[in-house]
Amino acid sequence: MDPVFSALSLYKKRKFEECVTTCTELLDKNPFDQAVWVLKMRALTEQLYVDDLEAEEEGIAEAFMDNETIAESARPGTSLKNPGTSQGGSTQGYRPWTQTGRPVSGVVRPGTQTARPGTMEQALRTPRTSKTARPSTSQSARTIRLGTASMLSEPGGPFIQLSRINLGNYASKPALAKPLFLYILYHENSIRHALQLAVLATQACEFKDWWWKVQLGKCYFALGLMREAEQQFRSALRQHQCIETFLRLGRVYIRLDQPLSALDVCRTGLEYFPKETTLLTEIARIFEGLNNMTMSVKYYREIVTEDSTNVEAIACIGMHHFYTDQPEMALRFYRRLLQMGLYNAELFNNLGLCCFYAQQYDMTLSCFQHALSLAKDDDVADIWYNIGLIAIGVGDTRLAGQCLRLAISADSTHAPAYNNLGVLELRRGRVNEASAFFQAAASLAPYLFEPYFNHSSLSHKMGDLQASYIVIQKALEAYPNHVPSQELLRALEKHFTFI
Amino acid sequence: MAVPVFTLQLNHKLLPGRITIGKYDGSHSCLTAATTADKVLIHSPHRRLGSASQISGATTWSQVNKEISLLSVNRNVSAICAGRLHPELEQDILVVGTPSSVLAYNVENNKDIFYKEVVDGANVIVVGNLSGYEYPLALVGGNCSIQGFDYKGNDPYWTVSGDNVRSLALLDYDLDGENELIVGSDDFDLRVFKEDVMVGETSETEVATILAPLRGSKMAYALANGTVGVYNKLHRVWRVKSKNRAVSVLSYDIDGDGVEELVTGWSNGKVDARNSRTGEVVFKDNFNSSIAGLADGDYRLEGRSQLICCSVDGEVRGYDPSRLGTLMEGNVHQDAVRELLQKKQALLMELKNYESNTRSSGVQQSMNAGMIPAKTSLQTTVSINLGSKPKGVPHVELCLATNNETIIRAVLVFAEGIFAGETHVVHPRDEELTSTLKVELLPPRDVPLDIHIKALVGLPRTEQFHVFELTRHLPRFSMYTLTSVSEPLLDELPTNFVSFNISERVQRVILWINQNFLLSSELEPEAGGGSLSLSFIALRDGSPLNISMHSAGRVVISTSSMTLAGDLVQSLASFLNLSNLQVTAEFPDELAHLGEWLEKVSNLQEVRIQLGADLAHRAGLVRNLIVRAEDARLLPDLSSMREWHSQLREVNDDLINSYNIRCSNHNELLEILKQINLTIQKAARLRVGQNKADVVNLSRSALQNNNLHSLLKIVRTGEA
Repeated sequence: MDPVFSALSLYKKRKFEECVTTCTELLDKNPFDQAVWVLKMRALTEQLYVDDLEAEEEGIAEAFMDNETIAESARPGTSLKNPGTSQGGSTQGYRPWTQTGRPVSGVVRPGTQTARPGTMEQALRTPRTSKTARPSTSQSARTIRLGTASMLSEPGGPFIQLSRINLGNYASKPALAKPLFLYILYHENSIRHALQLAVLATQACEFKDWWWKVQLGKCYFALGLMREAEQQFRSALRQHQCIETFLRLGRVYIRLDQPLSALDVCRTGLEYFPKETTLLTEIARIFEGLNNMTMSVKYYREIVTEDSTNVEAIACIGMHHFYTDQPEMALRFYRRLLQMGLYNAELFNNLGLCCFYAQQYDMTLSCFQHALSLAKDDDVADIWYNIGLIAIGVGDTRLAGQCLRLAISADSTHAPAYNNLGVLELRRGRVNEASAFFQAAASLAPYLFEPYFNHSSLSHKMGDLQASYIVIQKALEAYPNHVPSQELLRALEKHFTFI
Repeated sequence: MAVPVFTLQLNHKLLPGRITIGKYDGSHSCLTAATTADKVLIHSPHRRLGSASQISGATTWSQVNKEISLLSVNRNVSAICAGRLHPELEQDILVVGTPSSVLAYNVENNKDIFYKEVVDGANVIVVGNLSGYEYPLALVGGNCSIQGFDYKGNDPYWTVSGDNVRSLALLDYDLDGENELIVGSDDFDLRVFKEDVMVGETSETEVATILAPLRGSKMAYALANGTVGVYNKLHRVWRVKSKNRAVSVLSYDIDGDGVEELVTGWSNGKVDARNSRTGEVVFKDNFNSSIAGLADGDYRLEGRSQLICCSVDGEVRGYDPSRLGTLMEGNVHQDAVRELLQKKQALLMELKNYESNTRSSGVQQSMNAGMIPAKTSLQTTVSINLGSKPKGVPHVELCLATNNETIIRAVLVFAEGIFAGETHVVHPRDEELTSTLKVELLPPRDVPLDIHIKALVGLPRTEQFHVFELTRHLPRFSMYTLTSVSEPLLDELPTNFVSFNISERVQRVILWINQNFLLSSELEPEAGGGSLSLSFIALRDGSPLNISMHSAGRVVISTSSMTLAGDLVQSLASFLNLSNLQVTAEFPDELAHLGEWLEKVSNLQEVRIQLGADLAHRAGLVRNLIVRAEDARLLPDLSSMREWHSQLREVNDDLINSYNIRCSNHNELLEILKQINLTIQKAARLRVGQNKADVVNLSRSALQNNNLHSLLKIVRTGEA
């Protein structure tokens, strides 16, 4: 068989490594065979290609040093920065918040972990817990961890020496320029060179190729030049409407913290591509970010009617039902996920919780057993914590205490477990231990209001009014609408005024 | 002094002249100002007054959104304006201009309407309806160009102006119910555009920094030299001059009489309101620091608007007519009494003078009484002096002479724009006093001038002088001297020329030349019509200018300066009342420049993208290093922290270097773009009426397509 054909066939079978070896042999014989050269480039790129839209994440540096956002304190419901302020959204009272200061979401995405803590110090301290590692800049983000060969050394030197290549030569040949660009961007991860090539190429085709504009926009986005990226995407959209471009333009607006503009872009996209699930997902996610769960679920439902196997949509709807006191409905959605072949600890954990709250106690423990047997190191703590929760629910404080301690032994930074342990200790009358647990929980997770409130009410009972007063203010900072906290504060203030 | 109805402190330093007021939610006025920290401050007093805690679950509102909210622009804010840009929204849109971009932003919804790069910069922005355009436009004045954006971010309006645009105003100039655009630019000119055709032009003595529409066709203006005044159409109604600079001008009915007053905020912290018909001060107040801007809006939710003044220190005071009416009453009386007393004093003085005069004339013919012979008259001639002396420069000479032995002690010449400070005084030493006096005039630009002369005339050794006041008119092209009159040369064409056909007789053109040039003797039209050819020499640089006309109506003006050719065409066209004129122009030198410039622009743009990417890349490195250094600090790992910081320093130095490079690149680009805009403007000035607007529009599309060939053709023929 012709070696070029076999290489091509290998590429089509996605056997990239073998394809690359074949191409290398061919290139050794004839270094000027452009077809083989392109094929090798494609194979190398495909090997490392990551969906940079899904993996996109804002780094610590971007979050603190770039202020592309225009409004520093936008009206509630118009900014992703202060989601707690939107109207009609869920509150911490009945839907717990994650470390990031957002309500827990149905699925974990890079974006859902993006916190906006107050200072860089806080942000740097947070990823010290192993689960929430965040890239320092988005240029060094997941793209490097997931893909990119630039860190691996290749035998016989790199395939293409970027510093020596004459980009101007290739720019005018679209057949070569496009694979080369993708190679530089995804394989070498050299945004500067990629941008250089894209600029030259878009000039060579007299700004008539929308593809290059999208690529330019991608480069600008990666470099953090949002406005330039916006212009390129808009200009590309004028020429050709493409789902990817709409999504990318939406991302630009999300980075600029203009969720309503991003929604507009996605809706325009839906006009061209009605019921397109990726666009609908994007809209649902933005609404979730705005803490507008009703709208978010509405869009997730639309997705499910189009694509009944969309894991993210099903999980999010299930989650919504669970936290709106409909565990039976939630159970149906999670069972659907199970039917679809999803078989992991998180799912069984959720199923267990739903069963418990739907009063199907026989199923509860077996679900958790499954969950524990499937659990990896990083979710064991959560599962033990939930078993502890159920133990508290059935009144078995001894089991609860054991479970919570197991949770802490699995993850020593599990703040809710500390909090619950504190409550258990308090019930046993061991005040000092309880207070210590509450303080530990509060220092680990300043975004939770429960430890503060518990600590404060404990101090209040013990007569340490000053400490109680200080702590309750922190509780209200974390959750301003918590009525018991407000009442406690009022009582304290009244007391102080009498003195 | 007036008592404000409210005062408040914003606690931010504001930039002068960049204040606006907008109803971003459609009903509540919000004062909006640019701060020195490259932010835009929005002050929303209604947020304090209520509506905050109505929505359950939103108590954080009061914490996060206090009265003041800030928008980060991250670039120097050069202009700001709020207005109804979106035809379907009942909300004001905030338009923010920086030296390189324009952002239209929906404040209420935290949404961009559009964001546009403008290479010409945004010196001034106004939002409003312009005649001939369906949607409201945000008009952005930059370096030599004016762009109008609609809410979609398209720019249907584009035109060039003679120099950097400093001020814009939308005004119903011809009272047809639709707004025209008034533009003040760095070349001291005020131009009126109806759609994209220039319908009026006048020249001021300084750069008009602020223009504000008043009622009807009236318009207030302020110049960089401290002059404030009112125009009705292009006739000046009144003006006053101050040693301070006006920062903001606004029309507001401060005394509640139904007629707007002209309120001015000055750089020394003074605010005054003047009657828009007479210029009389009706109100004033003082701030501790310079005024940043004025605005009017309903700030107390009481159904009528207040005058709001902001100082650069962030002090805000609001005034309204209710308290002012009674307050100014007493002042008016006092003023009237004082004025009458002054008049009385003046009259008494005059009477005294008359008395002493009659006494002295009765007793003796005294020298020091300042009597001069009754027949004394002052003759003035304006001529061209070619500057025969080695040092002499060719100039226009104003010669004053008396017809007898009286001498001219001193001459005050007042003319706009010739002298620094408008007035020139000549007073020879005692021993050089004669009955004639020559004044050198060097008009820097070709504009018709009225020279007001005040001459002190008296007998020698007298102490009192008679003042002769007279006005002379200096024709527009006084700085060109006629050298020869000859028959037109038919065959050879000069290298730089414009030519066009007019259906007028030669006599009319001769009449125009007689009116607009300074000639020693008036040209006599030849009997048989025939043709005409005149050669002039420019006094400024000695370059030649030829005007020739054939009997068939073909006129050729040959000069190396496109500007001069444009002036001549405009002047001739207005004299002959031409509504349209198409012109063929040949300026190979200028056109060669154009090609050079365009090439340079594309090179610079390319380099610019490179530099931008480079800069962003380095900035990314800096960010990364900072995070790493911070990380090392938190993990008390001092040695690596030290390492990161030293790397950071190197990258930072690089960053500064590449920034400087980019900066100079940008300045170069700006300069060239300005030159291109100027050339297009000159080319447009060679045509009249619709053809003029066509040149601008066609050049625009040629520039957008980067089509040099078609651009050159447009400049040459006026057609694409």
